[in-house]
Amino acid sequence: MTATPVLQINHLQKSFGHFQALKDITFNVNAGEVFGFIGPNGAGKSTTIRVLLGLIRATGGDATIFGQDVWHDSVAIHRRLAYVPGDVYLWPNLTGGEIIDLLLKMNGAHHSQRTDDLIKQFGLDPTKKARTYSKGNRQKVALIAAFSQDADFYIFDEPTSGLDPLNERQFQLAVLALKQQGKAVLLSSHILSEVERMCDRIAIIREGRIIETGSLAEMRHLTRTVINVTLKTPLDVTQLAGVHNAEPGQHTNEWQFSVEAKALPAVMLALTEHHIMALQSTPPTLEDLFMHYYTTEKE
Amino acid sequence: MTSRFARTGRLTGLALRRDRFRILIWILVLVGLMIGVAFKFTDIFGTQHEIAAIKDTLKSPAMVALLGAFKFTNNPSTAQIFSTEMVVFMTITQIIMNIMLGVHATRGEEDEGITELIRSRAVGQLAPLSAAALELVIVNALVAILYGIGLGFSDMHGITTEGNWAVAIGLAAVSLAFGLLALLTAQLADHSASATGLTYALFGLAYIVRMMTDVQNPDYTWWSPLGWVEKISPYHHPNWLPIVLALLLALILFILAAIINLQRDLNAGAIATRPGRRIASAFLRGPVSLLWRREHNVIIGWIIGLAILAMTYGSIYNSVGDMLKTNPTMQQVFGSNVLHEANHAMLVSFTSTLVILMAALAAIPGIQLVYKLYSDETNGWLESLYARPLSRTQLFFGYVGTGLLSSIVAFGVAISTLILVGNATLSHPKDGLTTFELWQSIWGQLPAVLVFIGIATAIIGWWPRIRALNWLYLGLGFITLYMGGMLKLPKWAQHLSPLGWMNKVPSHDVEWANFSWMLVLSLVLILIGWWGYHRRDLHMS
Repeated sequence: MTATPVLQINHLQKSFGHFQALKDITFNVNAGEVFGFIGPNGAGKSTTIRVLLGLIRATGGDATIFGQDVWHDSVAIHRRLAYVPGDVYLWPNLTGGEIIDLLLKMNGAHHSQRTDDLIKQFGLDPTKKARTYSKGNRQKVALIAAFSQDADFYIFDEPTSGLDPLNERQFQLAVLALKQQGKAVLLSSHILSEVERMCDRIAIIREGRIIETGSLAEMRHLTRTVINVTLKTPLDVTQLAGVHNAEPGQHTNEWQFSVEAKALPAVMLALTEHHIMALQSTPPTLEDLFMHYYTTEKE
Repeated sequence: MTSRFARTGRLTGLALRRDRFRILIWILVLVGLMIGVAFKFTDIFGTQHEIAAIKDTLKSPAMVALLGAFKFTNNPSTAQIFSTEMVVFMTITQIIMNIMLGVHATRGEEDEGITELIRSRAVGQLAPLSAAALELVIVNALVAILYGIGLGFSDMHGITTEGNWAVAIGLAAVSLAFGLLALLTAQLADHSASATGLTYALFGLAYIVRMMTDVQNPDYTWWSPLGWVEKISPYHHPNWLPIVLALLLALILFILAAIINLQRDLNAGAIATRPGRRIASAFLRGPVSLLWRREHNVIIGWIIGLAILAMTYGSIYNSVGDMLKTNPTMQQVFGSNVLHEANHAMLVSFTSTLVILMAALAAIPGIQLVYKLYSDETNGWLESLYARPLSRTQLFFGYVGTGLLSSIVAFGVAISTLILVGNATLSHPKDGLTTFELWQSIWGQLPAVLVFIGIATAIIGWWPRIRALNWLYLGLGFITLYMGGMLKLPKWAQHLSPLGWMNKVPSHDVEWANFSWMLVLSLVLILIGWWGYHRRDLHMS
């Protein structure tokens, strides 16, 4: 990769008094990629994003966007950045339409045809006062303002937690369109199916530390594939190296087990010797990966 | 029907727990002032001579406008002077407590979504409202009990047990009625800021009616609930009728609030919200225009409110500046020149007291706007703004500048209205204040307003948690000056707050040296606040 990453974070740390919210955060986001940032509540996702926005100041390490320091050059960075917070708080006595326009104008942009299209697509009533909006509608206001802005880097902090499935789909299409235009997107989420579907690379954060970064395919190598196999001749698969949680199935010689990625070739060889009659392999889902990191490495 | 009130008791306990620090501070301030002054009073107005002197002052139209009209016996006792000076003033303070607690406990909780959470439990529909009402009853009762007991220990001449309890319960009853008025407006308006605004507007009306009727004809003061405290006359002929009236009014207001509460939807006001603009106006384009768009009602409300108050005070200049009313033989003895000079001096002294009042009031919108910078931050509203190319410095000076400008305009308009309207009412224009004196009034107290806003700014930049202290400082600073003369407070006490750092104007000339360094001080405070604000972490919800 020759181009400099849009976002570079190096050993970022943040303490609130004695509490260390971020211990070691390191990852990059490149142009033209959707980067998933996942972790449970309280792991430090929003804190990281607030450091990136210059709302709070890092106590260690550094972070740059477009090669500029996130604290000192926040104003310059924000000219080319769009952000949708996880909890959208809007000024209660302004209408949604007014807020969208205000946010656009503050970036030097204007209410365009695209804004009207987005309002229609997301099904927002822009004449209502923000006080009367539900969580989903408040999120729509922030999303419409972000998508109708022409930025180079988009940050979404759990943007779909209040949206219905139809609007979630609108959101995914819009993010895909950004990716095709070569924009960089940082998507923080704990809706794993969404991340799995949209993201090119993923970072997993736990207790203020990035514990894994990479593409989903790369990560799959780190964990186990679930295999459901029916053999012609008997074999005690529990004896094979790298096999876990083996359980006999309903039929004779049917087994269900999970196997480590590195042991897969040897296991497959052993199975073939006993004449495979049926085989189903399920690659680990992001959810499996997630559970894997959070349950097995918790010690 | 009882199920509508289910769990009221538990919610009341919760409300008292939630507000325990506010309540504690308010009770300390209220009881401290009342009982503290009561204990000092024998020293101040113990002798017949002292009483005779103050009695004439209290009868002058200026004092009647400020403190209320009271009936005296021929030889009033120290206790009678005490109740005359303290009753209206202390009631106003207690009413402010009631309005703050009342709106916070009802519309404030609803705005924050707490009422929704509570109402999803096995809690009666009217329970949150009733709990708020009970909280106010308990707090006012507590204040009344402490007043009653505390006054009992005073050795003031002319004090009676019945009088003590009449004062204590009377102030509590009238204040409670205004607290329940706040609960009613909380049902009408659809968020706490407009509920507070509406309540203060009605309270202001009650104050103005009291003042006008007191000066013109005290019999009509019965029309203002605030005037009822004057009618108790505790150490003369204690009258319990006003107390019965106030409690009755409180009950009626509660029933009205309950009826509206049962009619309306949660999170909605009885006054419906209309749909608004589909797109923003060309004007709405940045942080300052956003602040104006959100707060212009409050800012304009303060300016107009102060102007109306100034106008009503101005309208009694004719009575205040008429020495012949108090001393009919003066013209024959001294001639008309001396008379007009005396009238003029009377007006200047009256104006000097009002300038302090106007300065203290005009500082409030400025401090509020500066504090908005912090409350908007904790409400999460600044997060969307700071994700735009907007620097801390820009937003900071946007809020502080708006605050400064609002206070300066409010103060300037109030003083000009007071003096211009006042002069217009005079039958002898020569008695009135000159243009020079008008400008002196403005320059003489404007720095104090700016210093208070400067303190607010420094607090927001460094330690927003202590922002209530600035309100306390403003309140106490105002009391020491406004009541300082009547309570014969020592000079140092009157110099404690910026309001007392310069000589009173227009009765004295502006001290330009003080003027300059106070201006520099407020500028330094603002810069200190800016320095802290632009480098600290933002607090997000």
